[in-house]
Amino acid sequence: MKYYYYIAILTMILTSCIKDEPQNTECDILEAWIEGDHLAQHFFQNTDMRIRDVSSGTELLTFTIRNHAALPAMPVYFKLSSGAVISPANGSEQDFSNGPVSYVVTSEDGQWHRTYQVDFREASLPSSSCDFEDFEMSSNGKYYIWYDTGDNGTIDRIWASGNEGFMIANPNAEAKDYPTVPDEHGFDGYCVRLTTRATGSWGKAFKKPIAAGNLFLGAFDSKYALTNTLKTTQMGIPYTKEPVKVTGYYKYIPGEVFTDKDSKEVPGRIDEPSIYSVLYLNHDDQGNEMMLHGDDVLTSPYIVRTAQVESLPAASEWQPFELIFKGTVPIDAALLANRGYNLALVFSSSKTGDTFEGAVGSTLYIDKVKISFQTDQTTENAQ
Amino acid sequence: MRYKQLSLILFCLALLTALPATAQINIDNIQLKARVGYNIGATAPMGIPASIRGIESFKLMPDFRVGFDAMYPLSEKFGITAALYYEMKGMDSEVTTKGYHMKVTMDVDEMEGLYTGHVRQKVQQRMLTIPLQLSYRISEKVQLIGGPYLSLLLAKEFSGYAFDGYLRKDDPTGSKVVMGSQEGEWATYDFSNDMRSYQVGAMVGVNWDIYRRLGLSADLSWGLTGIHHSDFKTVEQPLYPIYGTIGIFYRIK
Repeated sequence: MKYYYYIAILTMILTSCIKDEPQNTECDILEAWIEGDHLAQHFFQNTDMRIRDVSSGTELLTFTIRNHAALPAMPVYFKLSSGAVISPANGSEQDFSNGPVSYVVTSEDGQWHRTYQVDFREASLPSSSCDFEDFEMSSNGKYYIWYDTGDNGTIDRIWASGNEGFMIANPNAEAKDYPTVPDEHGFDGYCVRLTTRATGSWGKAFKKPIAAGNLFLGAFDSKYALTNTLKTTQMGIPYTKEPVKVTGYYKYIPGEVFTDKDSKEVPGRIDEPSIYSVLYLNHDDQGNEMMLHGDDVLTSPYIVRTAQVESLPAASEWQPFELIFKGTVPIDAALLANRGYNLALVFSSSKTGDTFEGAVGSTLYIDKVKISFQTDQTTENAQ
Repeated sequence: MRYKQLSLILFCLALLTALPATAQINIDNIQLKARVGYNIGATAPMGIPASIRGIESFKLMPDFRVGFDAMYPLSEKFGITAALYYEMKGMDSEVTTKGYHMKVTMDVDEMEGLYTGHVRQKVQQRMLTIPLQLSYRISEKVQLIGGPYLSLLLAKEFSGYAFDGYLRKDDPTGSKVVMGSQEGEWATYDFSNDMRSYQVGAMVGVNWDIYRRLGLSADLSWGLTGIHHSDFKTVEQPLYPIYGTIGIFYRIK
């Protein structure tokens, strides 16, 4: 029994050494929302009044609204890191009619700040063709990101890649050595070049030895970069038209040595790229907002249309590709118009890169992507 | 005869380091003890940093000590002792942290950040320890001892995993990376190779004769060198071995 006394005494001694809890240094917006039933009319869906699970890398919060001209001053509420404070005040009415409003979050200890932009935007369809000419450096200057410039000049960050995850394991890598980079030798102008990369010693330690180059419509959240990478890719953006096909041009050079997730060579296996697109319901049966991720983007029961190609043979010159959307589940036209469906479009330099199988060096070039949709026929499709 | 040899070896050690070469030595005066003991303690920072928020569990390890010591009386009350112990100093604990600074290098790739969550830490050390002590008899039965020690590590392990928490990369505004609560989602680490192969420290204690040749002892050994090489910066503060020992001894002669 003495044994237990010792433990008890020792624990007491050690616990008594624990100092007062330091003040929190974090200064994140974790969640943002609008309160008030009378304001719901400005949104397409009630779930659009809340931005949940703000990713740690995000500093732009966009609420999508019906009509910008009719926008009253909006009280935006925030859930912040414990102890943090925000200015302008949490829940205060702000005028968003002249564009985004800056909010500064200060940590509990007063030493750390983050500046967020909160914006209210009218729903707009991203441009249906993408030439990958619009890219810039991430805010920390480490890697490239792509955006879409709408017809009225608005910038939408609808494209995401795994570059942020690559940075976590390879903080010293140069921007040009990331899996997803711009390349000046496009079909015309720039194209995007996706390369399967080795993730270094950290990646190996976490049994994630390779990172396929990828680019997709949606968002990336680094949260699960080391543990559950399939959950880092939030696939899809709201899309208000029924897509018919995706076309574009590609080049593909498979890497020389195909390896499995233990970095063991798989002799004879040749790497393949993948390009696919799906349209899915962005709310589940209970009415909760929902995103598809790397693990269910091709298998979810909420998918209504899928577009894939059988195979994309290696090609050192530009080759056209065409994906036709297939599926028989009826599409609800009213729901479609109210942003109830998401469109995911994914490019990857290694088809099985999500399970860390592929060939380091496999390179996929993509340019001149065009999404075609049912012009003015959405009503008929509702039948 | 063997005791005499051992006495001699230990004594020579003491002689070389502590006694002037001119001192007049009578080997027959050397008192020899055999000891066994149990080490309880931790490998911990000097002053637990505020970023360590709690100790969730602390398991006792089979940390035994066996050894001999040889004491040469300098006067009625003072003596000088050299000893040789084989001992184990381990730890198996789980702590919770809040914004604990860590910088981990794996080959050439570095990951630095602030970790909030759980850490399970295992330390195992098997060593030969050579204490050199001055002793002072405060009563017929009780003797106080104190002095430096040198430990040579025969086996060492420093490993563990971070789980059920998250890392903020570089600083509190950096990317948040979650460490899961299931195996495979943990961040495991092993810095056994960054451990020193020797340690020095100070030891103070008491010997208490209780019955004939048997006695009880208690001492505290406080490491003055961190268990890792000084250029090892993974953990926020150097970790020192701090162990108390409770034991019995037998006066051989």
